[in-house]
Amino acid sequence: MVYSPKLSKFLESYGIVLVLIVMMVVIAMTRPDVFLTPQNLTNIIKQNATLALVALGMLVVIITAGIDLSVGSTLALSMVTLAIASKAGVPWPVVLVIGPMVGLAVGFVNGVGLTWLKLPHPFIMTLGTLNAVRGITYLVTDGAPVSGLQPEVRYLGQAYYDLGIFAPPAGIPASLILVAVCAIGLWYFLEKTNIGRHIYAIGGNPQAARVSGINVERVLVIVYMICGFMAGLGGLLLAGRTDSGFPNAGIMLELDAIAAVIIGGASFFGGRGTVMGVLAGVLIMGLLRNGLNINNVSSFWQMVLIGVVIIFAVWIDVVRRRAAVRR
Amino acid sequence: MKTVLLAGVAIAAMTVSAHAQTFVLGMKGPGAGNPFWAAVEAGARDAGAEHGVEVIVVAPPQESDVQAQITQIEDLIAQGVDGIALAPTDPNALAPVVDAAIAQGIAVVFVDTQGINDGVSFIGTNNEVGAALAAQFICENVEEGADVAILQGLISQSTGQARAQGANQGLTDCGLNIVAEQPANWDRAMGLTVTENIITGNPNIRAIFGSNDNMALGAVEALKQAAMLDTVMVVGFDANPDAAASILAGEMTASVAQAPSNMGRFSIEALMALVNGEEIEDWIDTGTVLVDASNAAEYQ
Repeated sequence: MVYSPKLSKFLESYGIVLVLIVMMVVIAMTRPDVFLTPQNLTNIIKQNATLALVALGMLVVIITAGIDLSVGSTLALSMVTLAIASKAGVPWPVVLVIGPMVGLAVGFVNGVGLTWLKLPHPFIMTLGTLNAVRGITYLVTDGAPVSGLQPEVRYLGQAYYDLGIFAPPAGIPASLILVAVCAIGLWYFLEKTNIGRHIYAIGGNPQAARVSGINVERVLVIVYMICGFMAGLGGLLLAGRTDSGFPNAGIMLELDAIAAVIIGGASFFGGRGTVMGVLAGVLIMGLLRNGLNINNVSSFWQMVLIGVVIIFAVWIDVVRRRAAVRR
Repeated sequence: MKTVLLAGVAIAAMTVSAHAQTFVLGMKGPGAGNPFWAAVEAGARDAGAEHGVEVIVVAPPQESDVQAQITQIEDLIAQGVDGIALAPTDPNALAPVVDAAIAQGIAVVFVDTQGINDGVSFIGTNNEVGAALAAQFICENVEEGADVAILQGLISQSTGQARAQGANQGLTDCGLNIVAEQPANWDRAMGLTVTENIITGNPNIRAIFGSNDNMALGAVEALKQAAMLDTVMVVGFDANPDAAASILAGEMTASVAQAPSNMGRFSIEALMALVNGEEIEDWIDTGTVLVDASNAAEYQ
């Protein structure tokens, strides 16, 4: 293949969007009657909003060359806690805050454990909380789902706006708006604030960051709290969507979130990753599942294909980067 | 010293008193993991208390953690219990452990899920019959030839297979048109997602059978949002308290109840019979019953 700097530059910026478009065209061709209906497009958004929030949190951690394995458990604990509170008649504005607060608390524990205990890698601390928090989730619920939430609590996870042009159940989901707000907020935070730049600096080279006067420990605690917060917010959405806090929620969600972040072009070695990339990564996984579902492909094949896509997406990224370096 | 003492207390609590007969109930998931296993556990404990035998209940920390279950059962065999009622997470994987128990003269029955070892009795629901009961209810309540869908459980498990098969057979036999059969892995959120996708492609659907209530309740949520709950009936399986409440609220239409506490009770009684040298049947059916608005209150 002839090497072209222009092409490589274009691919680096928009390659992932091209992948998305190709996927949509292929799926639309296989099920033209279903895929592009407003109802199906609404489904795709609703079904992936929780993953999008959790993956955005994961992005911040991965930029620091860290990892947070506890997000699935954190999501579940947030869900059941807010469900219990909702059932107990706690006023709904308080209930809304509970989920994200639980997430912040777990994130704080992760961050503090990581920095104070000086554990060698975040994998270990968050592997611990993955288990411990899931255990607490089972303990507080006795393992049984807690169902029937206040309508206000369900709003974000369930409501959608038909804007007078879509026929139910199609429309703009409230969850999309929440994801958009979080994405824009996070983008601003990462790109425009000092702490945001410090996060990238720590991921790029922690020693250099420390020498240049960045309080690495403090920033890391904040990073894990952001990740926990997003997982808690994801719990609020999923609880609203299913009308239930069920303790088995979010098992293996951490792996989906990591996959979305990596597909979106973030580096496992830190210092690199964007909000746009993560959203594209989430959509790629969501589109893949949707496309296979509406073609009635067995879920076993779906697992195989998602695995292949993860490997393929990252390989494309490697090739792309090698081309960019040569330039 | 303190740790030694604590460990001693823990071991004392786990070991078995020497006199009473001791039976183990090995479940697939924690009783604190869902109401179903909690009821199995309660049934076994009640039977144990009634007959004056000791009942130890163990379960892997997570539903279907095969490795953990094997370890637990091996450890209990080493303790020398009198009998084991096992709900195998994976019948093939547990088969050698069951053989080892029998070789040591420990009585074994399978509960809830049938194993593959020859000559070991099974105490549980006939899931195929139960799913057929749900299918029959759907057949009686929708017009002939109507579109219907099946939400399958984990179809790598025999329970998932049996329910999917029973429902498929029953719905096909009475001339309904099955437009989708998809797994939602027993999970509520996945039941919701899969149903959203099914109704998007099949707007004329009239009934959905969920192989368990969690998935069926997810389907109810999807239909509610699509404003299709009036025209689509949802039938689940298990009749758990959430499902009963939903049926009474007029949302879910029906469910199929197993008798989990019978499973626990019959298991212990079967083990006692075996230890006393009595013969027991190969399959002790614990029964299923259709639950609709008329009797849902009993299951809340």
